[in-house]
Amino acid sequence: MNSDLINLFAETFGIAEDRLQPDATLESLGLDSLAVIEFLFQIEDKFGIQIPDQANPPRTLDEMVQMIEPLMPHGNPGNAGSPAA
Amino acid sequence: MTVTRRVAITGMGIVSPTGSNSGIFFDALLHARSGIRAMDVAFPTGTESVLAGHIEFTPDAHFPKAKLLTMDRVSQFALVAAREAMQQAGLGVSALDAYAPGRFGVSMGTGSGGAGSLDAAYTSLLEQKVARLRPMTVVLAMNNATSAHLAMEFGLKGPNSTVSNACASSATAIGDAFRQIRHGYSDAMLVGGAEALLNRGTIKAWQAMHTLAKPHADGAAASCRPFSADRSGLVLSEGAAMLVLEDWDTAVKRGANILAELAGYASTTDAHHLTQPDAQGQAGAMTLALQDARLNTSDIGYLNAHGTATEVGDVVETSAIKLAFGEAAASLPISSTKAVHGHSMGAAGAMEFMASVMALRAGQLPPTAFLEIPDPRCDLDYIALRARSTGKLRAVMSNSFAFGGSNSVLIASAV
Repeated sequence: MNSDLINLFAETFGIAEDRLQPDATLESLGLDSLAVIEFLFQIEDKFGIQIPDQANPPRTLDEMVQMIEPLMPHGNPGNAGSPAA
Repeated sequence: MTVTRRVAITGMGIVSPTGSNSGIFFDALLHARSGIRAMDVAFPTGTESVLAGHIEFTPDAHFPKAKLLTMDRVSQFALVAAREAMQQAGLGVSALDAYAPGRFGVSMGTGSGGAGSLDAAYTSLLEQKVARLRPMTVVLAMNNATSAHLAMEFGLKGPNSTVSNACASSATAIGDAFRQIRHGYSDAMLVGGAEALLNRGTIKAWQAMHTLAKPHADGAAASCRPFSADRSGLVLSEGAAMLVLEDWDTAVKRGANILAELAGYASTTDAHHLTQPDAQGQAGAMTLALQDARLNTSDIGYLNAHGTATEVGDVVETSAIKLAFGEAAASLPISSTKAVHGHSMGAAGAMEFMASVMALRAGQLPPTAFLEIPDPRCDLDYIALRARSTGKLRAVMSNSFAFGGSNSVLIASAV
């Protein structure tokens, strides 16, 4: 999984990285739908991307990464830096 | 509804500038240890020193990060205070072992709710020029977020409401909950108030009212001086106080340790002026609360005054107490504990009712700190400077009066 995403995820939610396995459900990591929305907002700001509204929100960590990764800028996404705004 | 039941207080908890558990809080009141400090606040026009009852609070010590994303500081205070109260009540996180979920509710008071989140949102929008706000802005800022968090924390599915009556918010919320139980709409209620308004916008708004205290020569901590000739105004503070109320018979049946009885409540409205208090309205609430509790003026052994340390507030409350208590006013011990914990607005009523219940139980009356030079117009027994030991008390009263003219009075009696 994308290490920048996983690092940001671990930092935002204070979850040890060894718990962040691809098949871990977001619910099992203690995240409700509002917390996930807040995280996606941070991702958009950090990487300057726009994540479309989802008819079926991601259920697992892997599903979330799959949803975000294609939208990430090429090169080192961690340095994309500038807010979407 | 003809049901009339007695209401027991079985748990209390607090997060305040004078201590973040009930024992430390009350000890600070008895020893006049002030939680008021000068706090540097960075305004766009420069940093200013602001007197405040600010709490050193570490959210990470109480909540996981994911939860904090959805909680304003005001809800954090309330949940920490509620955990103490529920634990003292012997209900812990398993309140529903004793009560059906739909029979246990929440009643909260707050003046400004998630004001800090709103202030942060405006800062992002107007100062940092962002194009969009955090998705959680609405649910962080809404006034009833705290009562929703409390319901979720303990699984309480009974009535849930939030009162915003300015400085009388939490006293009114407690009174409303008292009636919910008394008249059979619920069997138990988690009640109280929370406030976290020490943000730049709110501070500036209060400064503009010209009601805030100036630093005293004896130090910032001594700047809130209710009933004193040298008072200079109120001091904003923050925090939460929570209590557990239960139907008396159910509390007895489950073997709860009953701390006191919530015996009476009344509220009146001045319908007179947005900010000027009215002695008749205040006295009316005290008299009605006594009638509600079926007590006489001589039964009240301690009164925790609203006592904000504004000139008009202190003088009018003195007149109101005389009107309500008549001859008994002269021998009634009264204090304002705001001198040490400041004015936590929507949380103040719950904080001071809790102080009153602790005084009732301990037979120790907290003083009005820093009352060295009494205002001659405030000529009642305001328990100047030092705590007073007393014999067993029958009942205590707590006054909460608000901008907008709301007057709410609570009475607790000994078990």
